[in-house]
Amino acid sequence: MEIIAGLLQTSILAGGVLALAALGEVLAERVGVVNLGVEGLMALGAITGIATVITTGSPALGFIGALGIGLSVGMIFASATVILRANQVLCGLALTLMGTGLAATIGKAYSGMPAPATFAPVAIPYLSEIPLIGHAVFTQNILVYLIYIILPVVLHFIMFRTQHGLNLRAVGENPAAADAAGIPVQKFRFWYVAAGSSLASGAGAYLTLAFVPSWSEGVVAGRGWIAVALVIFAGYRPVNAVLAALLFGCITSLGFVGQARNWPIAAPILSMLPYLGTIALIIVPVLAWHRVRRLMAAPAALGEPYYRDVR
Amino acid sequence: MIRIQYFPSPQPAVALLARGLAIVLALVCAGLLLAASGAAPLTLASQVIKSTFGSSFGLEDVGLLVTPLILTGLSVSIALKIGAWNIGAEGQFYAGALAATGVGLFIPGPTIVILPLMFVAGVLGGVIWILIPTLARAYTNVSELITTLLLNFVGTLLAYYVSTGPWLDPGGHALGTTARVRHDVPELWGTIHWGLPLAILLTIIVTVLLNFTRWGYQVRVAGSNPQAAKYAGMPFRRHLITVMLLSGAIAGIAGMLEIAGTVHRLQGGISNNFGYLGIMVAVLARGSALGVLAGAALMAVILNSGIILQTQGLNTSTVLAITGLILFFTAIGDELAHYRVVRTEPATA
Repeated sequence: MEIIAGLLQTSILAGGVLALAALGEVLAERVGVVNLGVEGLMALGAITGIATVITTGSPALGFIGALGIGLSVGMIFASATVILRANQVLCGLALTLMGTGLAATIGKAYSGMPAPATFAPVAIPYLSEIPLIGHAVFTQNILVYLIYIILPVVLHFIMFRTQHGLNLRAVGENPAAADAAGIPVQKFRFWYVAAGSSLASGAGAYLTLAFVPSWSEGVVAGRGWIAVALVIFAGYRPVNAVLAALLFGCITSLGFVGQARNWPIAAPILSMLPYLGTIALIIVPVLAWHRVRRLMAAPAALGEPYYRDVR
Repeated sequence: MIRIQYFPSPQPAVALLARGLAIVLALVCAGLLLAASGAAPLTLASQVIKSTFGSSFGLEDVGLLVTPLILTGLSVSIALKIGAWNIGAEGQFYAGALAATGVGLFIPGPTIVILPLMFVAGVLGGVIWILIPTLARAYTNVSELITTLLLNFVGTLLAYYVSTGPWLDPGGHALGTTARVRHDVPELWGTIHWGLPLAILLTIIVTVLLNFTRWGYQVRVAGSNPQAAKYAGMPFRRHLITVMLLSGAIAGIAGMLEIAGTVHRLQGGISNNFGYLGIMVAVLARGSALGVLAGAALMAVILNSGIILQTQGLNTSTVLAITGLILFFTAIGDELAHYRVVRTEPATA
C-alpha cells in the first residue's frame, strides 16, 4: 500500500511538468498553430528558473522569470509564424534547437548546483489526512494544485463555455470564416501562441524548481516532445491533457521505483519507458477505435498560416 | 502605385538571396550574442578560419564531419520528397552504429567479409528504427514527426546502455565505450576515409532515382499532392513506406560509417547531433543533391568551428543554438521570398 501511495505522489509530481507544457501546447494548437518549440522553451525556462533561484533565493521569482522569458520568446516565435507566416514546423524545430543549445551553453556555469530553495510541499489541512491517498495527493507543492486543478478548469471553462472560447476555437477550425465574422484572427493566434509558450517555459522552471531540482545538460530530456504528443492523445482538451500527463507521470515514476528498489532492469532501459509509452499511446487508441479519430480530431486549420488576401 | 504582393511560388534568385541573407544574419546575431557575453567574435572567427582552412588537418576534420552530415541530410531530404518529416535521423544513426558495432565485434572473419556485413547491419538498424513510425504513419496517419523524434531518445539511451553495460570494453582501456572494432573503412586522404565518396555516390544515386525514373516521378507527385497521386492511381502508401524506410536506411549507413570509418568504438555521445543537423542540411538543400552536399559542407564547417572553440567555453550545444538561429532565419527568409513589389495602375475613380 505504501508503494502505491508513494507511486501516486511521484506520479503527480512528475506529471506536473508534462501537464503544464501540454496545457501551453493546447492553447497554441487550438488557435491553429503547431508549436514544436516546446522542448526549447522548457530548456530556457529551466535555466531561467535555476539561475534566478541561485542569485535571488526565491523560487517564485524563478518561476515568474521563466514565464516572462517564455512569453518574450513566444512573441518572437509568433511574430515569425503568425505575422510573417513562416513555416511552423521549421520555426518550431529552430526554436527547439536554439533553446536547447542556448540553455546548455548558459547552463555550464550552473551545472550540478542544487537549487538553494524550492517549491516545498504544502499539506492541505484535513484533506491531507484522508487515509491511503490523502498524504500523496494533498501534500504537494503549490504549483501542483495550480497545474492540476485551477488552470485546466479555468481553461476548459473559457474554451467551451464562453463566447471568447468559441471565437478562439473558430480561429483554429476555420480562420477565414472567423475573420468574416469579425474575429481578429491574427491577434488571437499571436497572443495564444505567446501565452502557450509562456506556460511551456514555466514547465521547464517547474522541472528545476520543484521536481529535479537542479540543472544538468539534457535535464528536459524530451519532455517537451512528449507534451506535444500528449496533446494529440488528449484530443486537444485541457482537462484530458492534464489527466494524460498524470498517466505519463505514472510511467515515469515506475522507472524511479524500479531504480530505487533495484529491479533487475538497467537504469537506461527504464528511462526508455516514457518515450516508448508515448509512442504506444498515440498509436494504439487510433488502431483500437476508429471513431476516436473523429472525436479527438485536430483543429481543422492546424499548421496552416492564414492569408487574408490570398483566397 | 507600388504595393507588395504575395506570390505562390518565389523567384529562384530571390529565394537564393534570402537564404544567403538568412545565414549571414544568423551568424551576425550569434556573433553579437558572443560579444555580449564577453567574447571577441572577430578574433574567434579568424581563429576558426585559420585552423579550418589553414592546414590539411583542419580540412581533414571537416571532411570527417561532412560524411555523416551528407547522409543524415540526404535521409531527411528524401523523406521530405514524399512529405514526411523524418526528425529521427539521430536515432536511426545510433541504431545503425549499434548494429554495425555488434557485427564488427562479435562475428569473426576477414575485414573484406565483415565490412559489407557491417554495412548491411547499419542499413537494417536504420530501417528497424524507422519501421514503427513508418507503419503508424502509413496505416493510422499518426504523425511520423513525433514518433521518429521520440525514438531518438530511445536510440541514444540504448547506445549508452550497451557501451557502458554489456558491451563495455573488456580491456578496460577507455571508460564507457565498447572495444575497438577491428574492421576499418580504408583511408582515402589523411584521416578521410572512403565513406565520403560513398556518401556522395549515394546522394547521386538517390537523385538519379528520384529525377529520372518512373518511381521517382510518382514519389515527387505523391509528395507535392497526395490527393492527385491517389486519384491518378499511384500507390501512395507503398511509396510512402519505401521512401521512409530508405530514409532510415541512409541514416543507419551514416552511423555504420561513423563506427567503421571514424570513431571505431560505440560510445554514448557518438552522434554529435548529426541527426538534428541533418534536418538543417535538408532544409538548406531544398530537395537538390547539390544542395545536400553544399548544406552538409556548411554545417560541417560550423560544427567544426564549435569543436575548435571548445577551449573558449563554446561547445556542440552552442553549435546547436547557432544552427537553430540559421534555421529560424531561413524559414522566415523562405516565406518573405514569396513577396514581390509590384507596380499597379492606379484605379480610375
